[in-house]
Amino acid sequence: MLIIRQLSRSFREGARVHRVLDGLEAEVRPGERVAIMGRSGSGKSTLLNLISGIDEPDGGTVEIDGVAVSGLGEPARTLFRRAHVGFVYQFFNLIPTLDVAENVRLVLELNGARGAAARARSLAALESVGLASRAHSAVDQLSGGEQQRVAIARALVHEPGLLLADEPTGNLDDATAREILPVLLSMTRARGTTLVMVTHDEALAATADRVLELREGRLHARTAVQSGAGP
Amino acid sequence: MTALRAASVRHLLRHPAQLALALVGLALGVGTIVAVDIATASARRAFELSLGAVNGAATHQIVGGPGGIDERLYVRLRTALGEASEPRARLAPVVEGYVTAGGRVMELVGVDPFASAGLEGGGRADRPAPFGLEGPEQARAWFTWPGAVLMSAGAARALGVTAGGGFELEVGGVPHRATLIAPLPGTGAGLDTVILTDIAQAQEWLQAGPRLSRIDVRLPPGTAGGPLERALAGLLPADLTLRSTRAASRETLAMTDAFTTNLKAMSLLALLVGTLLIYGAVSFAVLQRRPIIGVLRALGATRREVLVLVLGEAAVLGLAGAACGVLLGLAIGRGLVGLVSRTINDLYFVVAVNEVSVPAGTVLAALAAGLATALVAALLPALEVAGSAPQLGLARSVLEGRAARAARRLALASLLLALGAGLTVALSRRSLFAGFAALFMLLIAVAAVTPAVLRLLAQAAARLSAGVSPVARLACADVGASLSRTGVAIAALGMALAAMIGVGIMVESFRESLREWLVQTMRADVYVTAPGVAEGLERRIEPEVMRAILALPGIRVHSEGRRVTVTSPLGPVDLNALSLAPPSYAGFRFTAGDPARAWSGFAHGAILVSEPLAWRLSLEPASSLTLITAQGAHAFTVAGVYREYGNDRGEVLIDLHEYRRWWHDDGVAGLGLYLAPGVSDSQLIAAVRGAAGSRQALLIRSNASIRELSMRIFERTFVITRVLYWLAAGVAAVGLLSALLAWELERARELALLRTLGLTPRGTAALVLAQTVFMGVVALLAAIPAGLLTALTLTEVINRRAFGWRIDLHLAPAQFSNALWLALAAALAAGVYPAWRSARAALASGLREE
Repeated sequence: MLIIRQLSRSFREGARVHRVLDGLEAEVRPGERVAIMGRSGSGKSTLLNLISGIDEPDGGTVEIDGVAVSGLGEPARTLFRRAHVGFVYQFFNLIPTLDVAENVRLVLELNGARGAAARARSLAALESVGLASRAHSAVDQLSGGEQQRVAIARALVHEPGLLLADEPTGNLDDATAREILPVLLSMTRARGTTLVMVTHDEALAATADRVLELREGRLHARTAVQSGAGP
Repeated sequence: MTALRAASVRHLLRHPAQLALALVGLALGVGTIVAVDIATASARRAFELSLGAVNGAATHQIVGGPGGIDERLYVRLRTALGEASEPRARLAPVVEGYVTAGGRVMELVGVDPFASAGLEGGGRADRPAPFGLEGPEQARAWFTWPGAVLMSAGAARALGVTAGGGFELEVGGVPHRATLIAPLPGTGAGLDTVILTDIAQAQEWLQAGPRLSRIDVRLPPGTAGGPLERALAGLLPADLTLRSTRAASRETLAMTDAFTTNLKAMSLLALLVGTLLIYGAVSFAVLQRRPIIGVLRALGATRREVLVLVLGEAAVLGLAGAACGVLLGLAIGRGLVGLVSRTINDLYFVVAVNEVSVPAGTVLAALAAGLATALVAALLPALEVAGSAPQLGLARSVLEGRAARAARRLALASLLLALGAGLTVALSRRSLFAGFAALFMLLIAVAAVTPAVLRLLAQAAARLSAGVSPVARLACADVGASLSRTGVAIAALGMALAAMIGVGIMVESFRESLREWLVQTMRADVYVTAPGVAEGLERRIEPEVMRAILALPGIRVHSEGRRVTVTSPLGPVDLNALSLAPPSYAGFRFTAGDPARAWSGFAHGAILVSEPLAWRLSLEPASSLTLITAQGAHAFTVAGVYREYGNDRGEVLIDLHEYRRWWHDDGVAGLGLYLAPGVSDSQLIAAVRGAAGSRQALLIRSNASIRELSMRIFERTFVITRVLYWLAAGVAAVGLLSALLAWELERARELALLRTLGLTPRGTAALVLAQTVFMGVVALLAAIPAGLLTALTLTEVINRRAFGWRIDLHLAPAQFSNALWLALAAALAAGVYPAWRSARAALASGLREE
């Protein structure tokens, strides 16, 4: 369960202060898929950074499965993130000096898994995105769609409770995006992972249980596909 | 290997040029330290071996003044000690002096082989007693062959002598015939500059009469400082002292302390430059990977894990660089050994370094220094990247903004460092360490201010060039806006250039001061000296020869001199006894004391001391210095302090008549002859040569040639300094090359974009070269004022505290030319490849590069 209360975040640029998030409230149930939409610069990525503990809020709280992430200091926040949160980015952000399997295995190793067990789990994750045969390829030899599939495998290999996706199809053409989407959805569904995705893609948003719009620093319900919590 | 480590290692391997240049920088820094350590340790070891080779078992020595020790004392002591109950002290007499054989200066050591063997406590298994005399044949030869000697196989080979063969040796210019009994068995370690002979033979050759140079003593273990030592000391006349051999060798080695400290400081400078290079390399590697590290942090790598990752890389880099540095140091060290031993031979004592000593501690210390350097250098970038929030795609402008703020803070730090350097000098009066600390603070201050200077000048140049060409404006603005990439390398270059300018000015100032001093001091027209080592007692002009010379009609007036080393409670002191001709008085420039009163005091038994001695022993006019004379200890009043560059240990000037009265030595080692009107120096030289005839081979030199010789020795002394400062400069040049190369290659996309907008290949190349040259020139501009301050510190603080002398500062444009050429060469070398590459790059692929 993801619970966000009175979340605020401002950025200073010279003398000016941009209030990006302003008392934002949200609740996401376990296994729920939520899409967040909004104009460029509305604070969508900032929100994901605050949920994951990458950034710290000026005020308010973020609670994931009963743990107040925003109240954790370093390195507890990082240790929580690596165990319970997965990330998929618009630009894949794979490590170019590691091959496909190593990129996936990296997260397992950060969580303490080593050796044959880690290798087997990373191969299984690649299998589930259809890339087991490219396990030892260099990442820059893969197409954009393949790189995003590796990123999805990496995000889910350690079976986090929460997957945060920042424009997961934003850097892909329509056809490739249509290939990626089922992979992302089926894998989160199969694992019961909560999915919070930021997107401009209406087609992607349509697959979510709920769509929220970030406007003037707060989330507003846009379409209730199924019953859901939220302001 | 974990994926995290694999990512780290592969990043380094993907940038081989960057990796190699960082390694070369560190290896040069560590290598210089190792080389200096090896060279000084080898010279020290050779000296210790030569001490141990003759009567190595001695624990103490009985020494006297220049007149030596009456040999009857040895007999009396043996008798007195023989009557004492066990444990007994064992004694061995020694007569030593310097001779010339085959053009090499060697030490002639006369021993009593049986007494020396007795010193060993009955002989040692590894040294057949006595002194390598194998069998009765050799023992018979030792006592019956005229001029019988022993020497090491190496020395025999160098002289081209075989067993039973004869050769000529010269003592104070007087030739003698010697015969080699046989080369000593074994390696003869430490004996390569030694000729061993019977004590009576040595007394004859050295004209020592019935006198000994010293008596070696072996006290039984555990009795040092006890009643036996006190009893032995009590048997000695007032002009003799008993001192431990360890203290004696320490005193001799201490003569080279200032010299070796200076060498070590120069090598540390190379490592300091290397530290900045490692900092540059690591911070650049971190900078390149900032997005990746951001991903790692987002995926859950903790700050500690990132810190360990970056520091781990630096540690591997440091160890690899240090290992290469040790190998490089071994190679450079072998070359440096020759230079160091030549300087020691020129200035201090005779030593032949045949084996290169590599102390295990040096290798370990070098590895530790490399590791520590890399870790210290990497700490800041590692802390910075580990501490920053794991945001992805941190804007370049943010990074450069940080670098600009850092440059401003560093400029302030630079000011504080410079003030700190000034305070350190002001508050520490004599400490050489504090002097070097101030020097390094000053050099780090230069490094700290250089990025701010670069930014300011680049911005000013961008504004000025805006009206001329947008490309020129872009070139300048780009430099100012890339501090995060180039700042550290420019700082390292600035520091090396400042050191180069400073050392250049110091050497030139020293050279000029020495030249002026020589002109002022060398007043006589022709100098006649007995050949040999400066303070050697055997250097004396034969009385008959001297009488014949002084009777020559071409001489108007003359000075006479004798140089010896005497003992004092504060250690050995070099004494220069002079009977001055009237024009010679003007050759002394007093730095303390009124000249008229000083000379009056000098004529009445007071002494004058040179600046180095006055500094070393804290002497000033009206203070006193106790010397051990033939009549026991006597406190001499100091009448004045004079400038002197010929002897860095310092010396005492005493009237020749006073010297004879106190030390009972009537020898004269040198004459200064003033020409009578109408006589040329070449005529007088020919006449002196004729007067000496075949009786004695004297060194007869004109004023001009002796000055030239002095300057030649000076140049040889500074060869090592030059080698070291070029090494430091080389490290800096490599650093600049590394950073600029990486920066320019990283900008391939930007340059390709300029090409598509219409910049020609030649224009692109010119742009790149202009930028690198601009940076080189900025480093030079920052280095010039700092170089002047460095020169002031070197001359007024370091030289003063190390050697005690003052040097007048001499400035000439030529002193800056080396720095200018280095700055331009490094900048051009760094720019040529990227310029060539950017001019030839395929535009399409260049634009695709991320």
